[in-house]
Amino acid sequence: MAETCTRIRVFTIADFEEEEMWLRDQSRNGWRLIDMIPPFVYKFERCEPEDVIYRLVYKNNEANAEFMQMMEDYGWERAGRCLGWLYFRKPVAEMENVNDGEIFSDNASRVDMVRHIMRTRLLPITIIFLCCVIPNALRATESGASAFFTVFWLVMFVIYVYLLVHCGFKLRRMQKELEGSGL
Amino acid sequence: MEDKIRRIYVPMTETGFYILFCLQKPQHGYGIGLRVKAMTEGALTISPGTMYGTLAKMEKDGLICFVGEENKRKLYEITPLGKEVLDLEILRIERLYRNSREEI
Repeated sequence: MAETCTRIRVFTIADFEEEEMWLRDQSRNGWRLIDMIPPFVYKFERCEPEDVIYRLVYKNNEANAEFMQMMEDYGWERAGRCLGWLYFRKPVAEMENVNDGEIFSDNASRVDMVRHIMRTRLLPITIIFLCCVIPNALRATESGASAFFTVFWLVMFVIYVYLLVHCGFKLRRMQKELEGSGL
Repeated sequence: MEDKIRRIYVPMTETGFYILFCLQKPQHGYGIGLRVKAMTEGALTISPGTMYGTLAKMEKDGLICFVGEENKRKLYEITPLGKEVLDLEILRIERLYRNSREEI
């Protein structure tokens, strides 16, 4: 059996391009993605070092047989799935040109995916933040709250603020860049 | 034709045009991709995500329809509405071409 390893790495919903690069680097170093445990655990097995492009597609569990068939026809191998994201890979050696390494060939379809992430991921996070994290964080600062309760909700508050600011700005910037490029 | 369709599809992207043009005969997404690559000598690639998304949108808007399956791949064909849009586009592109040949 091939040697395996487990790595923990945090990527947010706005870091999919960084995640693609990281997975490509792993492959160049001879590690091939075999499994994922949501949300942050990646399992790899030893392989010959190879330049393989990884692509993440956000489908929010709406992927159907037609889409998967089309990806297969275009030479993409399914490498995993995690929380609504599908992972595909294709060796650079099998590509005729750089376009063969892309899932999307125009900005209209790229921006569709960014909007989909904002609508079905960023929006729920915002609602949870407003309706659950803020009220609990306020109660946690009142006198009489247990230490555990206080620490837990303050930590949650910090995580959510970071997530919202980081992902909100980054996705918005992606959306603007893709829409602004015209045609 | 509704104004909405006209606003979305006239003028259309090169990707949209070639997809609609190829679907004058029943075809599946990957087949369209190969055909477009050959027709444009590799200059235009339609990637799978874009192909899938465009087909889904055009089907929803009634420009193309599902006509059957071939080895698990969905076959589409242009509808009368789609043909109307395509003809408008061809007229527009012909005018564009004619004008581009004129002296300035």
